[in-house]
Amino acid sequence: MNLYRQSIALFGIVLPALACALLVALGLTLKSRMLDSLNNKQALFKTYETNRVKALEIESAIILQRPHIAHWTALLAEESSSAVNTHLRAIAETLPSKEFQKTAFERSTSRGGFGSATAQNSSQLRIVFRGTFRTMQRAFLELESRMPQLQLQELRIDPNPNQQTPSPLLNFQVNYTAWEN
Amino acid sequence: MATYRHPASLNALQRFKQARFMLRHTTRASNPAWYQEAFDLDFQLHIRVDGPAISTFFFARRKAHWSEGPTLSETDLRDPEKMAACAEKILTQASSFKASSLGVILHLADEFATAELKPALDNPAALPDLREAAFHKPATILDDSSVPPEQNCWRVVPYPAQGSGVIGTTITLTRQYAPFLAALRQAGEAHNFPLITHALSAPLVAIMGLAQCAPFAPGKSAVAILQYPWFTALVFFNDHADLLLIRTLQHHHLRHAPNLRHALATTHASLELTDPDIFILTLGLDLDPGLQGELSSAFPLSRVTLVTPPMPQGIPAWCPEPVIATTPQPKGEPARSLTFGILRDEKWALQDFLPTPKEVIEIYPSRAEMMLLRGLRLGRLGLFAVGVLVLVWIALGILDIVRSAAWTFNPSEASFVKGRLSNLTNERQKSQHWDNLLEDRSKAWTSMELLSRLFPERCGVLVKSFAHTVRADTAPGQAKIGFVKEWKITGLARDEAVDHLNVLNTQDGIAAQFNEIARVTGNPAFNPALRTRSLAVNVRTQENGSFKLQPLDETYDIDESSYPFNFDLTITQRFEATDPMAITVSKAP
Repeated sequence: MNLYRQSIALFGIVLPALACALLVALGLTLKSRMLDSLNNKQALFKTYETNRVKALEIESAIILQRPHIAHWTALLAEESSSAVNTHLRAIAETLPSKEFQKTAFERSTSRGGFGSATAQNSSQLRIVFRGTFRTMQRAFLELESRMPQLQLQELRIDPNPNQQTPSPLLNFQVNYTAWEN
Repeated sequence: MATYRHPASLNALQRFKQARFMLRHTTRASNPAWYQEAFDLDFQLHIRVDGPAISTFFFARRKAHWSEGPTLSETDLRDPEKMAACAEKILTQASSFKASSLGVILHLADEFATAELKPALDNPAALPDLREAAFHKPATILDDSSVPPEQNCWRVVPYPAQGSGVIGTTITLTRQYAPFLAALRQAGEAHNFPLITHALSAPLVAIMGLAQCAPFAPGKSAVAILQYPWFTALVFFNDHADLLLIRTLQHHHLRHAPNLRHALATTHASLELTDPDIFILTLGLDLDPGLQGELSSAFPLSRVTLVTPPMPQGIPAWCPEPVIATTPQPKGEPARSLTFGILRDEKWALQDFLPTPKEVIEIYPSRAEMMLLRGLRLGRLGLFAVGVLVLVWIALGILDIVRSAAWTFNPSEASFVKGRLSNLTNERQKSQHWDNLLEDRSKAWTSMELLSRLFPERCGVLVKSFAHTVRADTAPGQAKIGFVKEWKITGLARDEAVDHLNVLNTQDGIAAQFNEIARVTGNPAFNPALRTRSLAVNVRTQENGSFKLQPLDETYDIDESSYPFNFDLTITQRFEATDPMAITVSKAP
């Protein structure tokens, strides 16, 4: 008796349960792997989104600065002393020659002024002028506007030492730190 | 009709398929009648075969109602070609009663013989084992093992009476009706209709019925004479109405046993019974009616009684076995003797002489297996439902995963954007770096504007020298460093300029001047309002030693002797490392 019991138990529940469990296990494994993959992708996607937003923010911030950067880069690409001289010549052409005279120009590559405190490349320029107060102010305004890399380190203004022959011309001595690339 | 094979000849999968086929195509799982005894079924057909006559009766057990059964002939029961038609007829009639099952009880009253047990087995405690052995290994218990078991069957009947000499005997019947019962069962299988058979020895049932109909006298032994058409059974009881002995006398085509009186007399003597009561049961049509008178004269000291069992309507008095077999012992009424108690309770009188062969029974799953099969079908359904739900849940989860924006994301885009961000960050750092370095923190023209604003023309001051220096703080290790701007102005002042110098020598006074410069030049380096900046001023005035008092209209601006005071003005502006104009120390990226 009960010759069918084992077969019924085997094919009636054990094998279907195993098949069902196998199918569910396969599904769960698949889902688990997909979840792992999704988590990785989500992490990447999150990073991607964060980076994308940051990039957009940075780009929107620097997009207006790019022309200036390009201008600065072009300025910094020039050799400082020759650029100063070029600009001074150009400036001199617009000013009365008697009221603006460059009397000395020195360039030193040794660090000094702001240059000695930073790692950025720089050179030191010492220029001596003779001229009237307002003309020299206009000249400095023009020069410093054209060359924003010039950082004033020292400015000395002295009147003509000869008391016997008073003159409106003053002696100007300026020291600049010129930032360089 | 499907042909089933014995499970022993099938592999596991074939067994399961066969069982499942039975579950689907039969009512074995839903109709418990398949696994019940014929006596337990609600609708029964009783067939009594006594030789000359075949009587049939339908019995509705719940209603205790008897009705006439189908008319059957001897050839219906014996001829294999007619058995199938007979079975169909029986099933058709049963169906007309709307029965869901049919128990067919065959009362065999056309033969009755006893066979003695082996004397070595004379142990009352071994009766259950002997009863079992009579089924499967009759040769092991019979004293005479020459009768072939293929053609006969034996059932043990105990002799409970003390002093009987033996513990019991066996009743022997031939298997001549086994094919008929098999045909009935096969017809039931073919019609998916539970038809359960049971073959009884009618005399044994009649003996059991004596408890209700024979007038046993207390303390008086008795003999029951069961008169059948083809034989007579002599049943001897002791004075406690317990069975002592069963004997059979064949009629040999006569109306009664020719040696009845002699057999009675000799058995009385051998059993030492003194004038026992004699009960005569006439269990057939056209039997010798003069037996009572004959025995009364032969045994004058014995009480000879013709016993007629009470029969319900429709059942003749000579055919009491169906009624006796189906009538339970009245509740609460004790059995008349031990014999009658065990004959019914232990079913010694109701033993099936022609049971379904074991190998046929084994073809079909047991009731427990059918219930298991049906339960597992529901279990599989539940399992399938759970599995489907889990898979749907998994599929929905996967769908969610696939539909998410991150799933379709190409990881190479991340590295591209990362590179782009790195480039932009670098560009921004470069921009910020140069933005910082190129700040208007120190310009010559603004310092000159400061000078001209501090001392406008004709303010009574003659400036002698102007020196402006800028120096960076030295604070190693910092990302940004502050710086200090210093202006030193020396000159001469007239009386009207002293107040102006005093105003400049105050914090508010110099801050107002710086604020004005910041406004007119647009240079934020002069803005004194930031907390990261400090502004200090110091004015020293002294008398001019070369001063000569002259009329005002005779003096020149450049005449130093017309100025009564010398002054020395020092302005110091300090920018801390946290100031927006602090200098970045690092090199451009």
